[in-house]
Amino acid sequence: MGSKSGSSFGSFGAQDAPLINKIKPVTTEFSRGSVPNSIARMDRESAWTRWRRGYEIACYVGIQHGLTYPFEYKVPFPVDIAPAEGNQPLILGVVQGFPTAGKEFGVHWAGCRIGAILRFDNVTDSSGTLASIASVVEDDEYWYVQLAGSWSSANPLPPPLYVPNPSGAPLKPLLGETLEDRIITPGSSPVTKDTLNPATDKRYGYVQAVLIDVDGENGILKLQKSGSFQASPDNVYLTPSAGAFTPGRYFTVGTRYACSCQDFSRRSYAFMMNLSEKETRRFPYTRPSLLKYGRHELITDANSGTIDNRAMTDANQNRDLTLTTSSIDNPGVFTDFGGRYLRNIPADGKAEGPTTFVDYTAKDNQITSFSDYWTPLLDEMRYCKHIYALRFEEGILPPEPSDLPVGTTESLTAWEQNLVRETATSKKHSQYITTLRALALMDVPPKNFQSPQMLPMMQKLLNVPTSFIRLENFRMQDKTGAFYNPSAYELPAT
Amino acid sequence: MADFGEVIETRYVLSREQLEASKFGFSPVYHSGSPTVYSPGDVVNLPYVSGEVSSMTALGNAWAAYASGIGPT
Repeated sequence: MGSKSGSSFGSFGAQDAPLINKIKPVTTEFSRGSVPNSIARMDRESAWTRWRRGYEIACYVGIQHGLTYPFEYKVPFPVDIAPAEGNQPLILGVVQGFPTAGKEFGVHWAGCRIGAILRFDNVTDSSGTLASIASVVEDDEYWYVQLAGSWSSANPLPPPLYVPNPSGAPLKPLLGETLEDRIITPGSSPVTKDTLNPATDKRYGYVQAVLIDVDGENGILKLQKSGSFQASPDNVYLTPSAGAFTPGRYFTVGTRYACSCQDFSRRSYAFMMNLSEKETRRFPYTRPSLLKYGRHELITDANSGTIDNRAMTDANQNRDLTLTTSSIDNPGVFTDFGGRYLRNIPADGKAEGPTTFVDYTAKDNQITSFSDYWTPLLDEMRYCKHIYALRFEEGILPPEPSDLPVGTTESLTAWEQNLVRETATSKKHSQYITTLRALALMDVPPKNFQSPQMLPMMQKLLNVPTSFIRLENFRMQDKTGAFYNPSAYELPAT
Repeated sequence: MADFGEVIETRYVLSREQLEASKFGFSPVYHSGSPTVYSPGDVVNLPYVSGEVSSMTALGNAWAAYASGIGPT
């Protein structure tokens, strides 16, 4: 059976039959060098890890609410006359800082735009018909929702669903938003998963799905079944949803999250300082192998156009985000942070493939939408651990992702206990040292909303063009519940 | 007794002891001042009074103005 070893022909004869108990697992891959193997990589990319870690962070950071900044964003009025202060249309949100030792300025900022802030019960066609859900048609992958009203090329769906663009294709700013059929009657509060129908004494329930496309001229919304969820009448979340939207109801948008961390933004960055070790300045560099065709972003002075990348500025100093594309990454500033490839449900069934960097739409060099990481996974966009922490804090227990880490050398229980211990230790450190240091280096919301890391994140969170994120539009809430205007140099209550 | 086809509440009803034991992360926190609160957002500006514009309409106007080249104010 075995070959004669040690002959003059060497050992390239027939091989010994492998002994099962002697086979070692493959621990590396061709040309990967010191990069961990694919199982370690998969574990690191696992949504479950972020979910579990998010719970620990919520427990250790969340209960103190030391860096919680609730805000009101007043929707700008470019053409109309703005209503009096107090009657202005608002987008409400909250930005929570997560002290992090591994972040240059010491804090990751995760934002939450509160749900149901855009309601469809005041969307009307030209004759004043309210755009309720008229009918739903479905195929294997999508729901096609016909909105009530008469729609045509002369009378398309109103903005922001469908925005005619004199210089090109119409803009559809709400693509990628989650829509929920939570408004039963116009002007009423949206139902929650607990709301009972008084007529039947059963819960209403609702369905959430991601808006994929808008047919403005026919009044049809296309929503994706994959990643949808349903708050069922027996008070559980089902994903994907078992049913379609209820005709007669009105849509609202769902809660939206964004974070400035590398994981969510899909970009890494250079460290100019080293917070956890000695304070030496570093020269930013990017390894040539990581240089990729892509984009980089520059923060520029709104008036002069000069580059202004400061982390702290005056509250009345507005800045713009300038995109530079069709070039290589800016060495040391941003590099590709790796990829997450999902398999497409549609018939062609192919993987989505790597990030393309043509992952945004822009008009006049202002970002109008990002799309790269918006592929929903279960009921969510691709969340980082900070966003999971926000969801735990809100009491919305996010569904447990099914991609449990595998291939750990110890048991998952030991791995979890280690995670808890690590979080406790690192939070103790970053709470007391990193936070103090961070607050000396960078400003807090809203004054840092136009810093290089925050402006793209705020664009994702509020879903408005970057040029609409103006500091004078923000009102911050202090500990007494009162709102103050930082751009008018107002201060929180002492 | 439920009839066929009715939706049944299927959650466990937890005892007081179980609820208290499960409140990990809700230990007492001492602070001064009032804790920060923020509006739930669902019912902002409802019902609309004269002169008020909904966030949806305002955002639509802002996008429409932006698309035709008018900047924010």
